[in-house]
Amino acid sequence: MRPEESIQLITGQGYWTPLLWMAAALGTLLLAFLFWSRGRRGYKRGTEQDLPFVSGEKVENPRLAATHLYWGFAEALRPVLRRLGAWHSGVVNDYAAWFVVILAVIFLLIMV
Amino acid sequence: MGTHAPILAIAVPLLGGFATPLVARISRVLRDFWVFAIALFVAVCVGFVAAQVFAHGVTVYVLGGRTPQETLAPGAFPIRIMLTVDGMSAFMGLIAGLLALVAFPFALRFIPEEEGKTLSFTLSLLLLAGIVGLAYTGDLFNFFVFLEVTSIAACGLIGFRTWTSRAPEAAFKTMLLYALSGLFFLMAVAFLYGEYGALNLAFLSRQLRGSALDRVALALFLSGLLLKVAAAPLHFWAPDAYGEAPAAKTLLLVVNTQVSLYGLWRILFTLYGGVLDAGVGWLVVAMGLLTMVVAAVMAVGQQDLGRLVAYGAVSQIGYMMLGVGVGLVTLAGRPDYALVALKGGVFHMLNDALTVGLLFLCVGAVEWVRGTRDLGELGGLGHGLPEVALFFLLASLALAGIPPLNGFASKILIYHGSFQLSPILTAVAVLASILLLAVFARAFQGVFLGPRVEVKPELPWSFLIPMIVSAVGIVVLGLVPGFFLEQVVTPAAEALWRGRHLYLAAVLGG
Repeated sequence: MRPEESIQLITGQGYWTPLLWMAAALGTLLLAFLFWSRGRRGYKRGTEQDLPFVSGEKVENPRLAATHLYWGFAEALRPVLRRLGAWHSGVVNDYAAWFVVILAVIFLLIMV
Repeated sequence: MGTHAPILAIAVPLLGGFATPLVARISRVLRDFWVFAIALFVAVCVGFVAAQVFAHGVTVYVLGGRTPQETLAPGAFPIRIMLTVDGMSAFMGLIAGLLALVAFPFALRFIPEEEGKTLSFTLSLLLLAGIVGLAYTGDLFNFFVFLEVTSIAACGLIGFRTWTSRAPEAAFKTMLLYALSGLFFLMAVAFLYGEYGALNLAFLSRQLRGSALDRVALALFLSGLLLKVAAAPLHFWAPDAYGEAPAAKTLLLVVNTQVSLYGLWRILFTLYGGVLDAGVGWLVVAMGLLTMVVAAVMAVGQQDLGRLVAYGAVSQIGYMMLGVGVGLVTLAGRPDYALVALKGGVFHMLNDALTVGLLFLCVGAVEWVRGTRDLGELGGLGHGLPEVALFFLLASLALAGIPPLNGFASKILIYHGSFQLSPILTAVAVLASILLLAVFARAFQGVFLGPRVEVKPELPWSFLIPMIVSAVGIVVLGLVPGFFLEQVVTPAAEALWRGRHLYLAAVLGG
């Protein structure tokens, strides 16, 4: 096996090589560093500039819990989550009932 | 030892598990050494068997014959207990050995003595023996026996923390559903035994003609195994089980689910390979899609880090089912793409074992340090546990299929294979991955970012080494995917794809 074959992945529609991706990622990082290095240099650690703001408001306890992140995203999914949550009732009878449903589907598929 | 490696990989952990309480009576240090030595021994045995199978083809080991290769009794009938190891079985054994090497050292310090450490090791070794037994057996009744061994040991580990209310409840639910699974599997075996008077997988495979009774047995096999692999909508037990078992033991539960998936492939490709129609493939594809989407959406609403990772683990089962399901559907019409999809599905089993394994190790480390897994209470751990933060991030990115990590390598094969069948399948799979990325980014932010919190005690090396091994595996498999695909995955996928006649010939001749 040649070294390049160890890295390449032939997918049937093309190929994937992590080396090319890493070269592209390195280029992107260099570009990002270039933009960053041209930014304002007035930031000073440990001054008022460090104070956290949430939605423009100064906050006492700045910790953002995982539940705060993607709040809108989770909220938009709420109706779906409620429905799926109802399926995950925790009642083992319901789980056995789902098994019966799938059993019926499988029998229909295989026997008919 | 070489000839007997297949049976030793099963017998040593089985007997070693029962002997563990006796060894613990002598010395706890000796017990820890004993347990690790058994895990190492199993890893060496499965590695040896895999090397043999990948080099020389299917290996058969017969119990009760004059030689381990005497497969047929007088009358040319395979009546003895037999282990039949082809590329796929060897691959599954390798995953079990690798995860055992990671899980056992982590558990050495993770489970305190007063919580019944010795018992947990006994159950873990029994589970390991059952998993390797399932992977290697060439006999349907022994498959059922090992299925029960794994079920009993797994339920013991899930309900291990008896002093909590949720662990015994999770164990009870899992036990009931595992019992249903085992019962239906046994009924299927009974139907085939009644019809053909045999239990040997290869013999039955050659006899099957697709009669009505054969199809009834197939439906029973499918229903039983789909329940055990946690395919939606039969997955409800899995998040409870993964979430409540001690984190160090959840790795073995993940392999337990994977070996059931292996069982499903063995039934579909080897036993029914000659008479199967594409409809079953479509069922596997549909349930795979449902599994990845439902589990990814459910992960969004989780408050418990362990349950969140558990839903992530369940969603990955969907990807494996999609890959292999597409392989089943396109096997006759587009065999070239069938093999790509199959390779993707099989490769994802190894990648999933490493990534989900590492995520559960991180969950265990967080729980060990902070005593909670509640996302509302955690935060700022990245300052005190930078290595765990790095490992969690790495495994999360790999799980979501971000290049150049291992998850991407297998997912791109699944995406390209499934695209040939329908672009919609690929689109759904990519969307589920994006959703998972969002979920795990949220978990990472909630657990590791934010103001510094004091972390005591420091993580022991027995935690860090298994994490480092898993992380290195994730990176290496991602950077040189072609090597592992060629050396390990392709023999396994080809054993399913066109290896049926070799499997049958190794046992029955001809």
